[in-house]
Amino acid sequence: MKKPILFIFTIICLPILADAHHSTAANFTQEIISVKGVIESVRSVNPHSSILIKNTDDEGEITFWLIETTSRTTLNRQGVSLDVMEVGSEITATGRKGRREYTMYLQKISFEDGSEFFPQQDRD
Amino acid sequence: MRIFLSAILVILPDTLIAATALDGIWVLDGPGTESEILLTEEGERLRIAYDLLEDDPSLYCTPASVARIWANPGSRVEIEQDEEHILISYELFDLRREIPFIKSSIADFPSTKNLEGTEFAQMGSSVAWYEGDRLIIESTNHIHGYIRTSRGIPQGSNTHAREELEVDGDILHITHTYTDASLFEQPLILQYSFNRLENVEIERYNCTDADYDWFIELNLHKEDQT
Repeated sequence: MKKPILFIFTIICLPILADAHHSTAANFTQEIISVKGVIESVRSVNPHSSILIKNTDDEGEITFWLIETTSRTTLNRQGVSLDVMEVGSEITATGRKGRREYTMYLQKISFEDGSEFFPQQDRD
Repeated sequence: MRIFLSAILVILPDTLIAATALDGIWVLDGPGTESEILLTEEGERLRIAYDLLEDDPSLYCTPASVARIWANPGSRVEIEQDEEHILISYELFDLRREIPFIKSSIADFPSTKNLEGTEFAQMGSSVAWYEGDRLIIESTNHIHGYIRTSRGIPQGSNTHAREELEVDGDILHITHTYTDASLFEQPLILQYSFNRLENVEIERYNCTDADYDWFIELNLHKEDQT
């Protein structure tokens, strides 16, 4: 009789990381990047709100970046509103580089006037 | 009066007291624990085939499994009970899970719907009963889903899920035990704790599908240039 193959996947009873919606921990790397761009649109929705920015490099090449953050529900409970993100304003977004190309999980937004925006992170 | 109240407490069955303790709104308290995962050949095949960026049901506002829906950071869960049912309302995806207190048989229809009435067999068909202070929920009749969406740990039609809920003060402890001889060489056990919330409500979630196609199209011009 063929012996079944065993696949040992994790160590017993290790603390695990709770998945947030579509898992933030898995969808984004630990690499921190910053991207400068102009806000094109803002979506405050569940499970993930997002800000679309347009980056134009020194040679005039345009790249759109999707800056994702936590849910509308969580932002509301933190007393945080994405209304401060005005379409057309220039920002620098900093966060975890996504596994999808040109995506990022937001940690901080810096505005032209020097002010900054910090959403709390999902606990994952 | 004190004698009267004492008499009531003596008369009240333990299960009724336990049921009262369980009622309320709860929120996940940090990461839990999981046992060693020993996948069968078929379980490993499904795990390897899983593409996180495409196959996670959460992308489409669909529950991946019961354990996955419980363990969502920041999402409130409300438990209500009457003599015949337990109703668990998950804020995530606006899910409502109505489970009968009938130990003898499990219904063959899904126990979970969202507020639009869409049924989700990923959450199984469930029954519940009390063993002392612990509420036991058993579920079968699952369709394919994922117990752990970050790593593609699967569930299937042969998966049996047992949830044990026990309240200690304002902490709710849940142990999920998954058995499925076709996917796991030994039971998969997940444990989580939840904190009781006071003076809050379950809010409407109104989930929006995580559609990335429109965004990918925005940058297609870059590929055309290369």
